[in-house]
Amino acid sequence: MASGHREAFQKQIQQDWANREYIEVITGSIKKITDFLNSFDMSCRSRLAVLNEKLTTLERRIEYLEARVTKGETLT
Amino acid sequence: MPLPKRMVEPVLVSRNTIPDGLSLPSELEAVTNGTLANIIRQLSSLSRHAEDLFGELEKEAHNLQDRSNSLQARIDRLAVKVTQLDSNVEEVSLQDIHMRKAFKSSVVFDQQVVSRDTMPTAMLETYQQCDKPPPLRKLNPYRDDGKDGLKFYTDPNYFFDLWRQEMLKDTERMMHDRGKKPHRPRNEGGGGRHKKRVRQPHNTRERQRQLAVGHGEYLMPQNVHYRTPQPVQHPDEALLVMDSRPNRPNSIEIRRSYPDHGDGSYSPQPSIHSQQSQYGQTSQYGQPANQHYSQNQPYAQQHMPQPPQQQMVQPGQVNMSQVQPPLSPSDTSHYKSNYPGSYEDSGYYGGDAYQSPNSSIYARGAAARANSQRPSQPPPAPPSANNSSNSTPTGTSATNTPTRGRSMSAGRDTLPPPPPPPTEVTANGVGPGPVPGVLPGHLINRTNSVSGSRSGSPHSTPTPTPPRQLSRDETPEPLHNDILPPPPPVPDMPPAAAPPPPPPPPPLPSALPNGQLGKAPGTTSPPLNINGDVGKSPNKQIISASPPKTSPPKMGDQVAVRKVHNIGPVCDTRNDLLKAIRDGIKLRKVEKSEQKEVERVNALHDVASILARRVAVEFSDSDSASESEYDSDGWVEQETSA
Repeated sequence: MASGHREAFQKQIQQDWANREYIEVITGSIKKITDFLNSFDMSCRSRLAVLNEKLTTLERRIEYLEARVTKGETLT
Repeated sequence: MPLPKRMVEPVLVSRNTIPDGLSLPSELEAVTNGTLANIIRQLSSLSRHAEDLFGELEKEAHNLQDRSNSLQARIDRLAVKVTQLDSNVEEVSLQDIHMRKAFKSSVVFDQQVVSRDTMPTAMLETYQQCDKPPPLRKLNPYRDDGKDGLKFYTDPNYFFDLWRQEMLKDTERMMHDRGKKPHRPRNEGGGGRHKKRVRQPHNTRERQRQLAVGHGEYLMPQNVHYRTPQPVQHPDEALLVMDSRPNRPNSIEIRRSYPDHGDGSYSPQPSIHSQQSQYGQTSQYGQPANQHYSQNQPYAQQHMPQPPQQQMVQPGQVNMSQVQPPLSPSDTSHYKSNYPGSYEDSGYYGGDAYQSPNSSIYARGAAARANSQRPSQPPPAPPSANNSSNSTPTGTSATNTPTRGRSMSAGRDTLPPPPPPPTEVTANGVGPGPVPGVLPGHLINRTNSVSGSRSGSPHSTPTPTPPRQLSRDETPEPLHNDILPPPPPVPDMPPAAAPPPPPPPPPLPSALPNGQLGKAPGTTSPPLNINGDVGKSPNKQIISASPPKTSPPKMGDQVAVRKVHNIGPVCDTRNDLLKAIRDGIKLRKVEKSEQKEVERVNALHDVASILARRVAVEFSDSDSASESEYDSDGWVEQETSA
């Protein structure tokens, strides 16, 4: 009887450990996903920022060229 | 307090997973199930954040794509335009050059990047969970010092105001130092304001104590201190500055717009706007300067229409107008005494500079290649070398020893910023100041208006118009005489002919297009036909006639020549050139000065404009030795308003 109880407890504890491992795997995966998302966000943002900077430079150059080429409005 | 942008919740997934008061058959399973449920919640939260993240990225990428698309379109248009560009074909009339609007950049700079509006939504959610500041504004009606009670607790604009004050003060001091020479009499009074003062560290304890003490009598003596937007102006405040607390920026004043967002979440955005209006109406801009100008009236007439000048002297005017009112008459007399000499001098100067770049243009009878020619011309000699000569007002000897620097500066000051053909400035690396391409506009105007009003700011001022008309009638009144040269020698000229100094066309643009100058139609048109050197003759006449006092014999010759010309027939083939010449003389229209003023007041309340102004001041500081010293003030104005 006692051994049967023991068996049952051991089984429960083993099951619990298995569950904990499972949970650990899931949480680890969540962490990985989070890490990936963060790094993805960071890299995307940095690239976008570089692009944005280039675009700004280009815009300014184009504006300069436009102002250079156009006759411009007069004050009349 | 830093806030994390996204938080995956819940954390501590395994805790509190066993419900209380329930007997469970298997606690271990309950814990496992609860943990799994929490993990599922975490996953959902994570997916929500991921969606938000991708959404933001997508939005940004879309924004960039829009920009690059529009940029591509602009490039294509530009390519088409450039291929069509042919400087040989294109006719650039003189009128267009001088009437061209100043370049205004359409680039907008990001500002207030960390304000409430630009907060990402994910962070905003966290932010919304924060406690609101206590509703101290409800106590505002019981404060008799006009301060906003909440501003003692928390003030989002505090550091910006501190920074803004410092930057503005620095800029103004810089401009003061630069403008010290030409404006010496006015700076004598306010010398103390250049004193550098160490900013006192922020004492939080004292502030807290003050909070604790409340709004009672302890605060009262400091009200004066707080109310002054620029405490450096008042020398008698030195005692107050010894207080342990630093100067509060006056953002602490209650805003009129404050009750509008009475939900407790006061955002910095509207308060800035209300601050602008407050500044524009009450505080240091505008009013002190007006006070000053209204006191010395003749001086004000000269200097009224120049925003940069006003900016330069803003803080000092309070002191000046209050402490030293007797300065103003001496000031004007100083000007008066200096004008004759300076007038001739600048006339010569204008003549020289005018001849070199433009006579060739005129000689060819076409102004088409003006653009390509101008930058190659050297800038005129800087007159600022004579600036030192204005230290003492040269009373009667002004005719023999012209104090050019002083009077040039006065004349220059009143000039608005030159109409920059924006491309030439940067392209040729000449710098913002002495662009030769800009000069003829001034000089044409000046050489013509020289006979009239020396103040010579035909672009911006409405005031010089009456003097000029007076001078056309050869009767300059003593009222305007403080800025006018002595009347030209009347007996030299025959009454029938046109008055020797070519009378400036009436500044009304309507009178010009029909090609008939109001009083003397023969002065400009006939010389072209009869004279052999077609191109140069009208030009030189205009130039040499500008200083009529110094060269009476020459002028007599001109009169004779002109009389001959008057007889000659008018040939129509050169009408374009004539029209160009006349249009070159035509006055530029200028944007409304009030609008500029408003712009100026508004402009100095965001970071970009303050920085731009400062940079502009520093840049113009570097070439302050050159001739463009006073033009650069105008440039400053231009850049701030841009």
